[in-house]
Amino acid sequence: MALKTAVRERSPRPPQPAPRRPKGGTLQARRARTAYLFLTPALLFFALFFYMPIADIVNTSMHSGPQADRFSGLGNYVDAFGDPSVRNSFSVTLIFAVGTTVGAIVLGLALALLVNRPLRGRTLIRLALLVPYLTSVAVVGLLWRNILDPQLGILNRMLTEFGLPTQAWLNTDPLATIILVTLWQIAGYTMILFLAGLQGIPEVYYEAATIDGANQWQQFWRITLPLLAPTTLFVSVMAVISGLQAFGQAYIITNGGPADATDLYVFHVFEVAFRSRDFGYSSALSVLLLFVIIAFTAVQLRAGRRGEVQY
Amino acid sequence: MTRFGRIAVYVTLLAASAVTIVPLLYMLTLSLQTEGETLSGEAVLLPETPQWGNYVTLFEEAPFGNFIINSLVVAGGITLAHLVFDPMIGYVFAKFDFPLKNTIFVAILATLMIPLFVRMIPLYVMMSNLGWLNSYQALILPFVMDGFGIFLMRQFIQPIPDDLLDAGRVDGASEFAVYRRVVLPQVKPALAVLGLFTFVFQWNEFLWPLVATTTEDMRTIPVGLTLFNQEHFTLWHLTAAGSVIMFVPTALILVFAQRYFVRGIALTGLK
Repeated sequence: MALKTAVRERSPRPPQPAPRRPKGGTLQARRARTAYLFLTPALLFFALFFYMPIADIVNTSMHSGPQADRFSGLGNYVDAFGDPSVRNSFSVTLIFAVGTTVGAIVLGLALALLVNRPLRGRTLIRLALLVPYLTSVAVVGLLWRNILDPQLGILNRMLTEFGLPTQAWLNTDPLATIILVTLWQIAGYTMILFLAGLQGIPEVYYEAATIDGANQWQQFWRITLPLLAPTTLFVSVMAVISGLQAFGQAYIITNGGPADATDLYVFHVFEVAFRSRDFGYSSALSVLLLFVIIAFTAVQLRAGRRGEVQY
Repeated sequence: MTRFGRIAVYVTLLAASAVTIVPLLYMLTLSLQTEGETLSGEAVLLPETPQWGNYVTLFEEAPFGNFIINSLVVAGGITLAHLVFDPMIGYVFAKFDFPLKNTIFVAILATLMIPLFVRMIPLYVMMSNLGWLNSYQALILPFVMDGFGIFLMRQFIQPIPDDLLDAGRVDGASEFAVYRRVVLPQVKPALAVLGLFTFVFQWNEFLWPLVATTTEDMRTIPVGLTLFNQEHFTLWHLTAAGSVIMFVPTALILVFAQRYFVRGIALTGLK
């Protein structure tokens, strides 16, 4: 490119009519104008529906009173740290997020390894495993509330049939139960993500390892797992973030109970905002969770970057 | 793989598939039971006589027709908006140079980090002040674009050779014509993925429709199902029938566009 320009510059310029200036300035300026024309809807949209709400919620979080019109500075945040119901709901949510993330990684990876083999009907099996993920959390919640019901539920009926002890699932182990229901819903999704990761590993690595006499187990630990690190990182970031934001499970299955044992954070915020009509306090709680999510993501991404150096 | 290993893998996978599919099949039989059967205290696997009438009763007991229309308008409208805006804006970031380009792109991508719950309260207040609660615009507008769709389209448009676009321009096509006649046809498969995903996820969306609607007739199906269920706590057969109806579009998409779907999910994982 540079060479061509140089050559052209050296050759004598033929006499030219005065260049006709295109209407509306240089080509570059016109292109920039076109770009902004195409961009206008997006600029408006993101300003109105993302950035303004954020400014708004930060502002509201520093107000209190029934109309959220009394300035209270960081008062809401101070209150939040001393509020046992907030602490409880935060720890419930943390357990939920970590539980669903670890579960989704283990189950998703195990399933991906299984369906990655050349098996007849594997497309159908993959699809069957994926279906719950494409179902609304509302439907999943209602369905499992029915299945787990101590009196009406089919789960206890089946356990009785096999001579196993029955349980009031949502009373004895509510948090673990909604974690399991969530895993039922999302494991197929992480399976597909891991499957994509697995298919990105070149076959020659395994061939070389086989020639060197590595058994399947060694190949898994030394090749598959390390090379899946970026996928695992993506899955864990994604799962933690969505775990911290879970709402429907508490709203539909348990209503936060029994005794706040499943009072997921977003559900708690929802209740403070729309049942207690306290927009100032609930805004502060939202902002706090946003910080937690950003912190989690940053830590995970940094851990991932450090991990990548090793390979 | 040894023969034994092969069988073990099959058995494990079939068991896992059963765990995901059987509850959904149970939802189907639940939707065909009588109210008595759902409450008998003895879970019924197969109803004595299938109560197809439940699917009619549902529309009598709740404005379920409204729920369906609302869901179609909302999920369909949002999907349409994504198909209009995301490729257009992705194109600008892929092929144009202009001042502040990177800053704006980062500002759009950064919205991926902003979860719905952070926007929930301010958006509610905004819609309430505008008098827009219980309106389609309140349900649709906050979702007509997102950073992910724009990023996805940019990734697909970037590899289109500039010469192809310039050829169009030399032929005297307007910038918009170049976009519509040259760029869009090149990214049809990506548009299919984007459209299917947007539709299914908006169809299933629960939190915002719950917040933004206060009257029964404006609910979408997921919200309609749960509120209906709380008010008439015991009507499991109707709840299940509604859930089955809700699942129909997703099932159709899965049957006809399964490849796109699985590839699409894999794609989101590649970042």
